[in-house]
Amino acid sequence: MPVVSLTINGTSVVKDVAANTLLVQFIRDELGLTGTHVGCDTSQCGACAIHVNDMPVKSCTMLAVQADGCKITTIEGLAPDDNLHPMQQAFHEHHGLQCGFCTPGMVMTAVAFAKDNPDATEQQVRRALEGNLCRCTGYQNIIDAVLDGAKAMREAG
Amino acid sequence: MNKTKIGQSVRRTEDFRFLTGQGNYIDDIKLDGMVFAAVLRSPHAHAIINGIETADAEAMDGVLLIVSATDWQAEGYGTIPSKSATRTKIDGSPFAEPPRHCLAIDRVRYVGEPVALVVAETISQAREAMEMIDVDYQPVDSVTDPKKAVEDGAPLVWDDIPGNICLDFQLGDKEGTDTAFAEADHVISLDLVNNRLTAVPIEPRGAIASYDAATDSFLLYNSTQNVHANRDTFAEKVLNISSDKIHHIAPDVGGGFGAKNGAYPEPPLILHAARKLNRPVKWINDRAESFLSDTHGRDQVSRVELALDKDGTFRALRTETIGNLGAFCATVGPFTATGGSARTQGGPYAFPTMSYSSRAAFTNTAPTDPYRGAGRPEATFQVERVIEYAASKLGFDPATLRRQNLMPTDSLPLKTSMGLDVDCGDFPQVFDQTMKLTDRGGYADRSAASKAAGKRRGFAIAPYLECTGGAPKEYAGVTFHSDGSVDLAVGSQSTGMGHETALPQILASKLGISQDRIRYIQADTDATPHGGGHGGSRGLELGGNAVGQSAGLVIDKAREFAASQLETSVDDISFEDGLFRAESTNRSISMDEVIEASFGDDLPDEFEPQFLNTGSSFERGIISIPNGCHAAEVEVDIETGEVSIDGYWVVDDFGTIINPLLADGQVMGGIVQGIGQALSENIVYDDENGQLLSGSLVDYALPRADMIPRMVIGYYEGAPTAKNPLGVKGAGEAGCVGAPPTIINAILDALRDFGVNHIEMPATPEKIWRAIQDTKLSA
Amino acid sequence: MYEFNYQNPASVDAALAAHQDADDGLFLAGGQTIVTVMKQRLAMPSDVIDLNGIEDLRGITTRDSVISIGSMTTHADVAANADVRRLIPALSDLAGMIGDPHVRNRGTLGGSIANNDPAADYPAAVVALGATVHTNQRQIDAGDFFTNLFETALEEGELITKVDFPGPEKASYEKIHNPASRFAIVGAFIAKFRDGVRVAVTGAGPCVFRLSEIEDALNADFQAAALDGITVSSDRLNSDLHASAQYRAQMITVAARRAVTKAGQGDRT
Repeated sequence: MPVVSLTINGTSVVKDVAANTLLVQFIRDELGLTGTHVGCDTSQCGACAIHVNDMPVKSCTMLAVQADGCKITTIEGLAPDDNLHPMQQAFHEHHGLQCGFCTPGMVMTAVAFAKDNPDATEQQVRRALEGNLCRCTGYQNIIDAVLDGAKAMREAG
Repeated sequence: MNKTKIGQSVRRTEDFRFLTGQGNYIDDIKLDGMVFAAVLRSPHAHAIINGIETADAEAMDGVLLIVSATDWQAEGYGTIPSKSATRTKIDGSPFAEPPRHCLAIDRVRYVGEPVALVVAETISQAREAMEMIDVDYQPVDSVTDPKKAVEDGAPLVWDDIPGNICLDFQLGDKEGTDTAFAEADHVISLDLVNNRLTAVPIEPRGAIASYDAATDSFLLYNSTQNVHANRDTFAEKVLNISSDKIHHIAPDVGGGFGAKNGAYPEPPLILHAARKLNRPVKWINDRAESFLSDTHGRDQVSRVELALDKDGTFRALRTETIGNLGAFCATVGPFTATGGSARTQGGPYAFPTMSYSSRAAFTNTAPTDPYRGAGRPEATFQVERVIEYAASKLGFDPATLRRQNLMPTDSLPLKTSMGLDVDCGDFPQVFDQTMKLTDRGGYADRSAASKAAGKRRGFAIAPYLECTGGAPKEYAGVTFHSDGSVDLAVGSQSTGMGHETALPQILASKLGISQDRIRYIQADTDATPHGGGHGGSRGLELGGNAVGQSAGLVIDKAREFAASQLETSVDDISFEDGLFRAESTNRSISMDEVIEASFGDDLPDEFEPQFLNTGSSFERGIISIPNGCHAAEVEVDIETGEVSIDGYWVVDDFGTIINPLLADGQVMGGIVQGIGQALSENIVYDDENGQLLSGSLVDYALPRADMIPRMVIGYYEGAPTAKNPLGVKGAGEAGCVGAPPTIINAILDALRDFGVNHIEMPATPEKIWRAIQDTKLSA
Repeated sequence: MYEFNYQNPASVDAALAAHQDADDGLFLAGGQTIVTVMKQRLAMPSDVIDLNGIEDLRGITTRDSVISIGSMTTHADVAANADVRRLIPALSDLAGMIGDPHVRNRGTLGGSIANNDPAADYPAAVVALGATVHTNQRQIDAGDFFTNLFETALEEGELITKVDFPGPEKASYEKIHNPASRFAIVGAFIAKFRDGVRVAVTGAGPCVFRLSEIEDALNADFQAAALDGITVSSDRLNSDLHASAQYRAQMITVAARRAVTKAGQGDRT
């Protein structure tokens, strides 16, 4: 059985993992981090989005073994203290979530996007969320949250 | 300290766990010794089961139990009944309700119908074993189109249900309507389809069942929207045990929109397995299974007729519908296409007379049940489309034609021909307010710019009127603890709507205490003696009023204590902002102090310890009438048929708005679902073999962020309802009631140059392109 | 997902050897297609040979005006690359239109073209730009590479190492999206070189194809009006839930016209 060695939310992990384990399953079942969700089986919904080496990736479309040597950040690792990350705070302020199921993937995608695009326009944000489906909010509050969160992230430095 | 008030946009308590990945959804729950179930589903739309061989599957690694129809029947389990409120045909005979077993017995009747349950140590083992089950299917003819299903000679879904008709239905004044049509200056007739949809909550359905042999009772965690009613069904109707033997809990639920309301076959299957194995059993759908097995929504074919005078005054509305039930009557099933679509016929318009008739038909498709709106989107679409069509045929301005026919404010309250109690509202005012938001003055320039760019711009305005529904009774229990915390347990259920914030907000506001102290409990059959769960926009109308009512009872008890403490009569005590004041002496005591005192040792004799604890049931008298008006501007690329929505405006009358931020969220979410119906979503079964063609998100096109315009939302609060103490009308479904006809009519307005005056939903780019081509050819 | 042996070679030679030794080996590139296929239990390779550890297969280099893109270069990297933006902005645009941001962070050029999904975007660029596909064994001209639905000229065990894209004078890619999958219902890539115009269409048929009638017209006159009156036959075009063959046929001309207009505007020379 292959061994995967990675850091997740700042912690080193070394584990045996069956090759046919998806990264999302490894994160949820092996590591017990259930904040990353599974919402589909064709890689459309984005509820499983995490950061791999700081890039947003769908963890349902990667094998766990492929994450060997990688730095993984999940929703649980975004703000390690009890405080909220500026993007999380922005989602809260703007009512950018309802049932919360798409939210971890949405926030992770938003954070990565905002880091690279601190002055994003509304149109750019809409495009950036192409890979994240939400059925509850109608997206508008999410977009406002991302725009605000990006500004807050930039100001926080 | 968080002293909140009704009417404030209080930010949500539940956000913290959702934002940090600490939500507790069904797939997050792990019980010791838990094993995994997979459901073998029919690959055929219609087939006789000649036999089922499970020996090979049973021999596979890790397999613990396989349940097929023979095993299920040997247990003597019952069927899942339909609770449709419409239960008789026009002739008074009972509706045709086929038996809905949890496993197909000797025939499968839709692709996805459960055939067997496989339980193994791991989910992979269960799925691999599933592949080894050999079912001897003998496919027979199937029918998926409801119009074809009611034709002579159509394959019968149920041998003993002639014509595939579950029931026929009539409401309104048929004779009066027929007369009005005969006498009218104009009669406009339009055939239209309300396309079949599926809810696609991002979290699929799933459940975990565990059994306790010592007490012979079950614990069921379920991603459901109604724990009480479904518990009763699973226990009393299926498993033949008493309801108190199942403790039914919904953890955090990742969306439902109605598709998680009803009773499904999988939970009883795993309850049975849990008892048999004496181990917890988990089942969860993947997305493909969701598409197959979640109840679908809408799917009605109608002829809508409008009778009007030469000056545009509406005389009558007549609608005839065939509704597609799928292969079974689901939990609400036949009601949606009958009573559910009848009651809001005619919308906010003053129709002197109306008539609605329908037939609900069986087909070899997944059962249909409520999906957000459940009959009101259909009714609104019908009237708004026929009005638009009439306007285009007869040369009326569509907005003026609508405005002149709205129920005048001074005509309310009234009862419509459908028996709907329209108590209050100001439909002309709401219409005008909406129109003002849309910058009609700049429209001509925008339209010219679109044309110059090779596109066409269109506008539409659609007032709507809808009604609440769901179970009419609700419970709220308030329990105070000595550490200062307060439990608020309700029988209604939020699956994202924000009740965890809004209901404590009502309690906090009424009692004058900090909202932070309140712990919200829902969706647990142990927590409330009864509960109506989710549905029909009842969350604040009923849950909210139950909380308000219980709060009132707490205040009454606290006032008595305050009177005793302040040495005066109860009548002398006023209560405001959390403070009881004796008017005569100006002495006061706060609610906080009363709460603390209720735990004291030295209470006066007439007060029991913790005397403030209260639970009460609130019952709705008559359903409420949320209403409003939608408007939209679209731009159609006439070469490709692609539509972009350039503006969207809504004014809603929901009565008292408890939390505007949350109300906005409901409206926007609903609008986007309505846009999805109008433009891109469609459940499609193959006409010949009944296979589900749109069985994944690769083929079922959900709206994404780049398809949605900026929505502008306003509220009209000038017509509060007296139907309930909070004055709440219900907000959860209105968005998807108003959006579809607004979008479709705006598209048709854009295609005015080409003379296109009807298009079916979803108005995909190809459909629009074809509509343009067809008119060019016939020109 | 079925079980398999996982291998993570560090070089092309090691990858080839691993494939040779396997009963039924599968190269894993970005995984954006194959992981989903395996998840749905529609593929059962004995060995999965991960190419993500082979640094030699990544990277973008430029010489004269030919851009050489390593087969394991992600769509995101192609879209963001300064040389690609400068020399073939249409290719950068196309890469930026594939899937969604997550897909673009993992999906690769080599994986995409080796799969030859009829609705993928890259095949249109490869053919229209007259690119050369380099493998461990040989070079394959664009025109010979894509052979049929999900089929290419690659032999069993043959590995794409890089693709060379010559820089055109003008180019543009116009895509009409499938609203559900975001793949191409029709994607038209037009490239004008000194020696002529090439037009390649993806999404419409079982495999990417060129359109000689449109190329001839544009060779005579490189503007949208030159395509007036040209119709494309719907014979042998795809028909599915989202678009009929007739619609696709019509959209080919629409996309081609728009691509020409956009290419004209983005003139680099």
